[in-house]
Amino acid sequence: MAAQQNHRAGGSIIDSLGEEIVRIVTPVSICMFLVVILVAVLNSGSSSSPPTINTIATIAYSETTSDSTWDKLKGALLNALVFVVVVTAVTFLLVLLFYFRCTHFLKLYMGFSSFIVLLFLGGEIALFLIRKFSVPIDCFTFLVLLFNFAAVGVFAVFLSKMAIIVTQGYLVAIGMLVAYWFTLLPEWTTWVLLVALALYDLAAVLLPVGPLRLLVELAISRDEDIPALVYEARPVINHDQGSREYEGQRRAWRRRRESGNDSESDHNIVTSDAEVTAPLIQNRVSSAADGQESSVASTDNSFLEGIGLGSSGAIKLGLGDFIFYSVLVGRAAMYDFMTVYACYLAIIAGLGVTLMLLALYQQALPALPVSIAFGVLFYFLTRLLLEEFVVQCSLNLVMF
Amino acid sequence: MTVAAGIGYALLALGPSLALFVTVISKKPFLILTVLSSTLLWLVSLIVLSGFWRPFLPLNSAASWPFAVLIITSVAFQEGLRLLFWKVYKRLEDMLDAFADRVSKPRLYPTDKMLIALAGGLGHGAAHAVFFCLSVLTPAFGPATFFADQCPKLPFFLVSSIIALAFATIHTFSMVIAFNGYSDGNKLDQLFVPVVHLVAGMVTLINFTTGGCSIGIPILYIITILTLLHCGKMVWGKLTENQIRL
Repeated sequence: MAAQQNHRAGGSIIDSLGEEIVRIVTPVSICMFLVVILVAVLNSGSSSSPPTINTIATIAYSETTSDSTWDKLKGALLNALVFVVVVTAVTFLLVLLFYFRCTHFLKLYMGFSSFIVLLFLGGEIALFLIRKFSVPIDCFTFLVLLFNFAAVGVFAVFLSKMAIIVTQGYLVAIGMLVAYWFTLLPEWTTWVLLVALALYDLAAVLLPVGPLRLLVELAISRDEDIPALVYEARPVINHDQGSREYEGQRRAWRRRRESGNDSESDHNIVTSDAEVTAPLIQNRVSSAADGQESSVASTDNSFLEGIGLGSSGAIKLGLGDFIFYSVLVGRAAMYDFMTVYACYLAIIAGLGVTLMLLALYQQALPALPVSIAFGVLFYFLTRLLLEEFVVQCSLNLVMF
Repeated sequence: MTVAAGIGYALLALGPSLALFVTVISKKPFLILTVLSSTLLWLVSLIVLSGFWRPFLPLNSAASWPFAVLIITSVAFQEGLRLLFWKVYKRLEDMLDAFADRVSKPRLYPTDKMLIALAGGLGHGAAHAVFFCLSVLTPAFGPATFFADQCPKLPFFLVSSIIALAFATIHTFSMVIAFNGYSDGNKLDQLFVPVVHLVAGMVTLINFTTGGCSIGIPILYIITILTLLHCGKMVWGKLTENQIRL
């Protein structure tokens, strides 16, 4: 036993391999889990339709249950088209503003929209929960608490002098709130929208005229960061500089490994985010449809390139990815929990595949398409094939 | 019956797996990824099986022989996939060893290999528990409960959780036995796992008769304990033989 312990002191490679991936998978899982809990709690029992929202995503067509399938499909396609067009337009506007160096304005806008999301969307959801659980709280206390929550959130997202766990927590909270609102859209619209956004993400990041690619290239050429909401998986190493401005810059890292040999890797940290807020259409329910297209960026890794299990540097995932993964899982939760598990595994698998491709191609990649494709595929496979099979078996207590 | 009962059933089926996960697996990120991949693999195998069997469903639940065929085909397919999993793991092991050489770290220890096998088995076991037990557990969170004909004395959810616990344990540890069997070339171990899997699956057919679960479940647990003992003996042998060599 003692001899083995001496060996152990050196540590084994499986101790630290894959750490970055786990650090990204954990917050994504937490966000999805919270959205599923919210959906399960708030949508259970009420056979009446959940509060329908009127946003830009339903401007073209409001789905009702009495329409025929073909009508629903057409309406959903129209909705998705309108939404994607609006998102594209606003992203191009963002590129234009960035080109004219209105960075300060963009930052202020980012802070403002986080405040709106936390205050209004968070407040609405808190009201739903209060109504559901009959929490005895008066409106003044509630307003004070809500305002403080939103204000701290804005600071956490803006300034990076906060403990990183607070920033990460608030980013997950913002993702969760926006995702829950998206799940309130009608069913067909949600699925078609997810697919449309995945295709848009693919086009925007990979095509040479895509807005996100232009944004990324501008940021690289100027060595600046892009003002956007991005989840970073590990703390930035130069704490004294503090601010998030460093994220977009090229920098060379040097990291001493435990065994003592230097591993110097050039890290091109490229983030590409565009934050979009679509204007309110009706003020009956105040919900700002936040669409945040994003791509996954990672650092260069000279070691296990094929697998992408590098062990230095940070992986960054845009908040839009969090949101749309959670929307998919939340929608699956509205059907049954089996689809939730299947879609969760599919999305994590898609994320893993994307990270591997990232390590392979070393450029900014869209994080939505692979995961959404797997997620939608597994949802329909589970709903059509798996459910019948498993229910048959387990109802007869036949298992293998 | 209530949220408390629902959580109770879920923990009954998944408790030991969760404990194993938190104490052993969550410390090493690579093992977490292994768990996730093997869960995904099990899910894919289940989807393929359900795709194959979909035209024949719903089966007439009075007769038990269609289910026997179902179990035989499913177990055969999953054991085939286990072999595939082993081949993929072999290649991964070579890559990891090459990586370890490059960064001047020690190669994979035998305990590391067994930990990876355990993580793979845990993925399978957790997937089984989740898809066969947790996904039908949703009504248990409501106000009532459900009794099945086959087992009139216990609530259906309780029986389902108990069976799921047995199977999760079997899956978890038979992966360790299987990987050790394949790497050592030990035919006994290699055959032990599919046989145990098949027998356990067939034993659940006893549940078809009324009151059958009072016979079926104890037999299932005997099989589980057998698997545990065999795995423990094998692992103990491996650990002590390594110590002597060192």
